[in-house]
Amino acid sequence: MKKRFAKLISLALVGVMSAGVLAGCGNSNDTASAAKDGVKIGVLVADVSGEEALGFRNYYEEYIQNNYDVTFEYTDALESAEDEKAAIEKFASKGYDAIISLSSSDRAQQIETCEEYGVYYAIASGVLDDEQYEQYKGYEHFVGQIGPSNETEFEAGKAMGEYYKEQGISTVAIYGAFIPNPMHVYRAAGIIAGLGDTYGGTDDMNGMIGQIFGDQAVDPSKIEGDVEVVAYLQGYGDTTTDELNAAIQKAPEAFLSVGMATTFFAQTLAQNDIQFADIDSFTEMNLDSMTNGTLTYLAGKYSSSIGPVFALVMNAVNGNVIRDNDGNAVSLSQGYLVATDVDSFNEYYVTDNGDTPIFDKESLDTIIGDAVTYDDVKALVESK
Amino acid sequence: MSKLKKFKNTQMLIATLPLVALIALFFIFCGVIQTYGYRLDIYLQIVFNEAVVLAVVATGAIFIYTLGTFDISLGASTLFAATLGVTVYNKTESLALMILVLFATGIACSLFNSVLASVFNIPAFVTTVAMMSVLSAIASQIITTDGGALGGISIPSSVVEPYSGIGFKAMLLIIYIAVCFYVFQLTKTGRRMKFIGGNPLCASLTGIKANKYTIIAFTMAGIGVGLGAFLTLTYTPSVTTQTASSIGMNIFIAIVFGGMPISGGPRSKIYAALVGGFSYMLLNDILEIVIDSSAAYGITQVISALFFMAVVYITSMNYRTQALPR
Repeated sequence: MKKRFAKLISLALVGVMSAGVLAGCGNSNDTASAAKDGVKIGVLVADVSGEEALGFRNYYEEYIQNNYDVTFEYTDALESAEDEKAAIEKFASKGYDAIISLSSSDRAQQIETCEEYGVYYAIASGVLDDEQYEQYKGYEHFVGQIGPSNETEFEAGKAMGEYYKEQGISTVAIYGAFIPNPMHVYRAAGIIAGLGDTYGGTDDMNGMIGQIFGDQAVDPSKIEGDVEVVAYLQGYGDTTTDELNAAIQKAPEAFLSVGMATTFFAQTLAQNDIQFADIDSFTEMNLDSMTNGTLTYLAGKYSSSIGPVFALVMNAVNGNVIRDNDGNAVSLSQGYLVATDVDSFNEYYVTDNGDTPIFDKESLDTIIGDAVTYDDVKALVESK
Repeated sequence: MSKLKKFKNTQMLIATLPLVALIALFFIFCGVIQTYGYRLDIYLQIVFNEAVVLAVVATGAIFIYTLGTFDISLGASTLFAATLGVTVYNKTESLALMILVLFATGIACSLFNSVLASVFNIPAFVTTVAMMSVLSAIASQIITTDGGALGGISIPSSVVEPYSGIGFKAMLLIIYIAVCFYVFQLTKTGRRMKFIGGNPLCASLTGIKANKYTIIAFTMAGIGVGLGAFLTLTYTPSVTTQTASSIGMNIFIAIVFGGMPISGGPRSKIYAALVGGFSYMLLNDILEIVIDSSAAYGITQVISALFFMAVVYITSMNYRTQALPR
């Protein structure tokens, strides 16, 4: 009895000490940010490990934070609309000035929650669909959205498909990543259209994406046309690894991915000498793949492409809430840059790397200020 | 002091530990919130909203766990009920019909499991794992087909806004817990469930029909699922494929944190899910605030797991004895 009681007391003490240590150790960044008077921005993220996500994070935390009086705090990977709302409420409870969203479970809910707590909100990856934008464009705290539209995602996939068709490729494997994620659905539909194929008898964008949403995947049996899709896989995990091996056995001439192929499959594809294409960003890992000849096509965003959204947010926090010419929240579409060899890749990679991003302090300063207008922002975004 | 008295005192001490832990976690939480400069009023609402759905669904699940069985598909059932509820609202614009569908779906899913388990004698582990996959797949199909490029389906937030206040949710929670407490503690049904969970053979020999109580237990859990789905929609009036995805596993944790053995039987406590659910969410939020997540992804889960094992060890002292439960 005594022995058990002693164990109980010792465990309780360990628990109390652990709690004390945890409460004391803390996050030095949090403490610093609490003491700092600068602008505090929370960033909602769903992807915390992809090449593109890491590039974005590095730009905000290493470059922007060092050049402006601002503190960024990132969430953990948000999986649902409930997670997103709770994350916004947590930022609001700490007095954050604004939220930048890279997470898209329920953007409408994000906007409404930010409006409720009086926190400025902007979208840095993807955009609202037309109906949602119409509904929320007049919200006081919705600053705007700058990123590829769904049509742009479709066109990016289509350009990739067309490139390989022009190269004379006759068999491909397609990786659909996280379909039914809308961004990936649009890209996959674009690839099929670009290859000159049809899906379920149509090559119309809306007709194709409607079917893919319904199928929750690309069904290779519904693809018809000149270029044969010999294998299709999506998701990631043990099953996908098996499916990748099965796809490799079918010896496709190219492996076309709607995203994150470098993160997941680059090594295996290189070992099997299969060229691949991806929609990702200009990062060191992708440069390695392009240098060794495996990655032959990359439609990418550069890491600093999220700079103008930061500028919109900074202006709003400082009292200059920029509106378009109709008085609505800013909505600008950004396209992708395409590299098909090391030289073109380096053109974007080197100029957007480290201390010299494409949207550097000098260019951002031209759209941060009390007198900045919508036309200034639009002109800068379209110039890059 | 006699050995029996010492034994009883130790048992009582251990039995109160979950509540003591909840109170301790609450004060640590308040201290952490103050230290890190968060607003306590907003953060308390966040914790309540996170915990209330778990507490409700897990309280219903206690009836199932008491019988010595379990249901891992409750999270998927919540998602499925919410999906059908939103779909029905969007077709009819009737809130009453939506609420009816939420509860009917929750109970139907649960009853289907109970029929498979009690009538066809298929192990609950097999049926509920299968149901989890089936319900998630059907819900995902509806969500992605109807949601399209939005990635989810939703109802206008104005529909559930009148019910999104903490006061209303707390009232629902209290009513549901009170009903469950009555059935569990003050009726023959509750006592027989504990008997079946403790010793099914003895229960059967005394003329208790396990099938009947299995159906009642799953029905109570189904009501919890329906209420959980409604509370989920009052927080975020949209449903994505990941809605309520963590509930299935969190029910285990909440029940254990609340001091109830997963094996069920006479030591089952109806308040375990309430105490455990709130303790778990407080612990999660404390860890989330004090640990720099960017330094090591998943570290909060590792520490939660260590706490979980410590709690299981402490609470199991209560029933790792030679004595019969009293």
